[in-house]
Amino acid sequence: MQGPPTIFDRRAVRRHRDRAAAGLAGYDFLLREVANRLADCLPDIKRSFPTALDLGCHSGQLAEVLAGRGGIEWLLQCDLSPAMLAHAAGPRLAADEEALPFADAQFDLILSVLSLHWVNDLPGTLAQIRRALKPDGLFLAAMLGGGSLEELRQALLTAEVEVMGGVSPRVSPFVDPHDAGALLQRAGFALPVVDTDRIVLSYADPFAMMAELRGLGESNAVAGRQDHFTPRGVLQAGARHYHQTHGDRNGRIPATFQIITLSGWAPHESQPKPLPRGSGQMPLADALD
Amino acid sequence: MSDESPNDGRDGTAADSIDPKLLEILVCPLTKGPLRYDREAQELVSEQARLAYPIREGIPIMLVDEARSLDD
Repeated sequence: MQGPPTIFDRRAVRRHRDRAAAGLAGYDFLLREVANRLADCLPDIKRSFPTALDLGCHSGQLAEVLAGRGGIEWLLQCDLSPAMLAHAAGPRLAADEEALPFADAQFDLILSVLSLHWVNDLPGTLAQIRRALKPDGLFLAAMLGGGSLEELRQALLTAEVEVMGGVSPRVSPFVDPHDAGALLQRAGFALPVVDTDRIVLSYADPFAMMAELRGLGESNAVAGRQDHFTPRGVLQAGARHYHQTHGDRNGRIPATFQIITLSGWAPHESQPKPLPRGSGQMPLADALD
Repeated sequence: MSDESPNDGRDGTAADSIDPKLLEILVCPLTKGPLRYDREAQELVSEQARLAYPIREGIPIMLVDEARSLDD
């Protein structure tokens, strides 16, 4: 049987995170911002979550943000990178989002910040997440979406055609928000909600931005990318296009990150559901009069 | 980890102790079957997958790439 297509090189994802682990504190602005926004969703939900999991915890940013919040008694953190975990504190383990090591119905809450956009088999991962949740457990995740790094993608594409006469993937493909809702439903989540948000960060130049992405462990890990490096000529032409197309009057450049927030509940009989078809007692025409 | 790291991950537990709650919820990532805790070897053993997952400094490494094959 053939598995899902391999879009991302998971070993490269792990390698990038391992390398970024020691210096992450200097580059984790986006991570903390998204973790804060996700944590802000919790107080609106009048529930406590005794047992929680952070899937893709990096070096513990979400745990720091959550400390003492959200009715969480026990937070287990996991990441693909053991080096990241060495910098976190509390209960934790190394695990691959594509092969979760959890028994069924263990968690009241599963959270994830900026990790699921590196998963090849997102439907498979979502199904595993749902199974690891107790009935009526909540899944709440933020991942990068299709509108992210559009400026960089365009600039490098233009530059590469110009310099190399062809293109190879240099910016990771991201999930489209419209697909994300369908994926949640397919994985069996009740009351699925997908929300999108934009964060625009400003950098001195594209090189500073790429250094930050590398520092965050977010370097390109697309399988089939052209070796490890983008040729210098392409980078320089890309930086020029980036400045020309998007630069502001102070010579700084913006970088847009689209954040997709997913939420869904493991099914439980207490949840509202549509009535079965044909169970209506009143003709639709009466309602429309 | 190197000593110069600002946050070396110490959380006050002995280096080789594992959170007992973890042992209750973990299964083999490959087979979703049960695991046996080998305290001596600091490994979580999946008989079904014939793999032993290492526990390093109290942190289970549940990655198939890092597991030791029981048949070698």
